[in-house]
Amino acid sequence: MRKTRRDIIKTIGATTASALAAPYLNLAHSQGAPIPIGVGLPLTGNAGAYGPDMGEAARRTAAMINAAGGVLGRRLELFIEDSESSAAVAANLTQKFINVHKAQACIGYWGTPEGMSSRPIAIQNKTVLMVSSAANAITEGDTQGYVWRFQMKATDWGIVIGRATVDKLGFKSVGIMGLQNAFVLPIMTEFTARMRAAGRTVTDSLIYNPEQPSYRAEVERIFGKKPEAVFCFGLLPDFVSIMKEVYRGGFDSKVVALSIMADAEGKFVQAVGDKVAEGIRHFQPMPDLSAPGYKRFLKLMGAPADRVYLFPPNTHDQIAITALAMERAKSPMAVDWSKQIIAVGNGPGEQTDDVVEALKLVRAGKPVNFQGAGSTCDFTPNGDQIGRGMGQWIIKGGKSVFVEYAKP
Amino acid sequence: MISFIILMSIVVCFSAILALALNFQWGKGGMVNFGLSGFYTLGAYAAALLILKGGANAFVATVGAMLIVAVVCGLVALVTLRVTEEDYFAIVTLGVGEMLRLVSLNEDWLTNGALGLAGIPRPFGASVPPEMYPYFLLGLSLALLAFTYAALTVIARSPFGRLVRAVREDDVVAATLGKNVLWARVRIFAIGGAFIGLAGSMHSFYYQYIDPTQFTNIVIAYAFMAVIAGGRGAHLGTIAGAAVVMVLLEGSRFLKDAIPALNSDQLAAIRIIIIGAGLIALLIWKPQGFLKEYRLRTEERT
Repeated sequence: MRKTRRDIIKTIGATTASALAAPYLNLAHSQGAPIPIGVGLPLTGNAGAYGPDMGEAARRTAAMINAAGGVLGRRLELFIEDSESSAAVAANLTQKFINVHKAQACIGYWGTPEGMSSRPIAIQNKTVLMVSSAANAITEGDTQGYVWRFQMKATDWGIVIGRATVDKLGFKSVGIMGLQNAFVLPIMTEFTARMRAAGRTVTDSLIYNPEQPSYRAEVERIFGKKPEAVFCFGLLPDFVSIMKEVYRGGFDSKVVALSIMADAEGKFVQAVGDKVAEGIRHFQPMPDLSAPGYKRFLKLMGAPADRVYLFPPNTHDQIAITALAMERAKSPMAVDWSKQIIAVGNGPGEQTDDVVEALKLVRAGKPVNFQGAGSTCDFTPNGDQIGRGMGQWIIKGGKSVFVEYAKP
Repeated sequence: MISFIILMSIVVCFSAILALALNFQWGKGGMVNFGLSGFYTLGAYAAALLILKGGANAFVATVGAMLIVAVVCGLVALVTLRVTEEDYFAIVTLGVGEMLRLVSLNEDWLTNGALGLAGIPRPFGASVPPEMYPYFLLGLSLALLAFTYAALTVIARSPFGRLVRAVREDDVVAATLGKNVLWARVRIFAIGGAFIGLAGSMHSFYYQYIDPTQFTNIVIAYAFMAVIAGGRGAHLGTIAGAAVVMVLLEGSRFLKDAIPALNSDQLAAIRIIIIGAGLIALLIWKPQGFLKEYRLRTEERT
C-alpha cells in the first residue's frame, strides 16, 4: 500500500504525457507545411444529426483544393472535432485548434452557444471564426473582423416568415410559441412586430422551456384561443411533443414551424406519423437550389439532384472563402487574410462558383466575386451574411413539398 | 501545445475545486448533492452579474459568489432536513438544482436568458500582458486550488471535522452524544457551497461567456466520477480524480491524431465509450479510489 500514491502519480504522468505528446510527433510548423484549419462540428448531442455531413463537405472541399495545388502552394489540413453540441466543449476545442494545431481559421460551429463561447477566444487570439449559428448576438459589438456568419441572421428569418404570412398565407389571427433559445427570440420579436404592423391579431404568445416531459399547458393556452394559425419556433424534440398534444386535443388551427423542427431529415414525420404532420408548413434558411453553385456542390458530394443540404454547403463556403482570402492576402495569417474576406466574397470581380477556378484567378492577380454553394457569399462589414434565402415547404402525405424560395 | 496544456490545467483546477466541494459535502458529510450543477450555475452567474451589473471587481465578485452559494446551500439544508427524512435530501437537492437552472434560463431581465452573459472581464486582465495571461491565470487557479485544499483539510482535521464524519457514519449516535446534527449539516452544506461558488466564479472568468447550456447534469456526473475515482473522503485523491477525468475527456480527442485509421466521426461515437470503459477499468483496478480518507489511512499504518 505504501507505494500507491507514487504509482498513481507515475501512471497519471505517463498517460498525460503520451496523450498530449502524440500530436507533436506528426506536426511540424514550418514553411511549406500544411495550413491547419479547425473544424468544430456537432457530431454527437442534440444537433448530432447535422455534423457528419458538414464534416464530409469540409473534407471533400479541402481535398478538391489540395488536388488543384492547395493554397499558397501548401496543403490544407483539417482538424475535425466533436463539439458535443455544447458551449463549454466548443470553447475547449477552439483553444485546441488555436494552441495545438496553430489554426488561423476555426469553422463549423452549428449552434449559437458554441459560437458565443468561442467568439472571445477567436478575437483574443486574432483567429477567424466562421459559424453557421443564427442569433444576432454572434456578430454584434466589436468583432475586429474575426467573426463571420455563414447563415441568415435570426431577425431576417422573422422578416421572411412575416412577409410570407402577411402577403401570401393571409392568416387574420395567429398564436405564437417559441422555445427559450437564443436564436428563437429575435425571430419571435420580429415576426410579432410584423404581424401587428400589418393589422393582424396576435391572440397570445409564450416562451416554453426545453426538455419538458409534456407541453400540454402551453398547447392548451395557445391553441385554446382558436387562432387561425399557430407559429411555433423551436427544435425537433419539443415540436414532436407539442404536435402530439395538439393532435390529442383535437385543435384545428393551422401550424407553421421551422424545417429543423418539422422536417429534420424526415425524422419528424417518422416520430409523429403522416396524419399529425399533414398540412404543417415549415420555413428554413437554405441554399438556392437552382443556383449553379449548389448544383456543383451536389456533384462534389456525389448526391442525387433533388437532395436538400441545409448546412453542409456553408462548411464548403467557409473553406472556399478561407482559401481565397489567404491566397489573395498572400498570407496564411488571419490578421492579414481576414481583411480580404469581403473582397473575395462581395467582389467586384469575375463571378465564379468554382473555388478551384477562383483560386486560379486570384493567383493571376484578378479580382473575383465568389458565389458559394450555400449563398452568394456576400457579407456586411460586421460579418453578417447577406444573400442567403429561406425555403418554404408544406407536408402532404408524409412528404415535404417545396412551395417557394425568398430572400429577406 | 504548451498553451493548450496550460489552459486545460486551469480547467482541471476549477473541476478539482468543484470535486473537493462535493467531496466535503458527500464524501465527508454524507450529504448527497444531486443539485450540484444548479449551485455551480448560481456561483457562475453570481460572479458574472456582480461584475457586469454590480460593477464589482473580480475579488469582490468571487467572495460574493461564494457567500451567495453558501447561504443558499445552508438554507436548502436547513429547510429540507427539518421537514423531511434525510433520505429525501438527495431528491430535494436535485429539485433545487433544476430550479436554479430554470431561473438562469428564464429570468431574462437578470440573466439574459438563453442568450447568456457575454464579455465577462478576466481578473487583472488589464494589468497582465495578454501573452502572459494564461500563465497568470494558471498560477491564480493553482493558488485557489491550494487554498481550497488547505481550508478543507484544516476543517476536516479539526474537532468539527470529527463531528462531520460522525454525522456521516451515524447521526443518531452523534445526536445522543449531545451534538446538534441539524446545525452541523447546515454548516457542512454551506461550507461545501462556498467552494462550489468559487469553482463557479472561476468557470465564468475562464470562459468569459456563460449560458444555461454549459451547466447540464453532466457536470454532476463528472464531479461524482472525480470523487469516486479519487477515493471518497480523500482530498488529494479527489484532485487526482478530477485530473484523470479531464485527461480522459480532453486527451481522448488526440487519439485520432495518434491512430490515423480512426476518423473524427468514428472517434466522436466511441470517445464517450472509451471514457466510460476507462473509468470502469479504474474502478475494477482500484475499487476504493486512488487514496483513502486521511484518518482511515493512518489507522491502517499503525
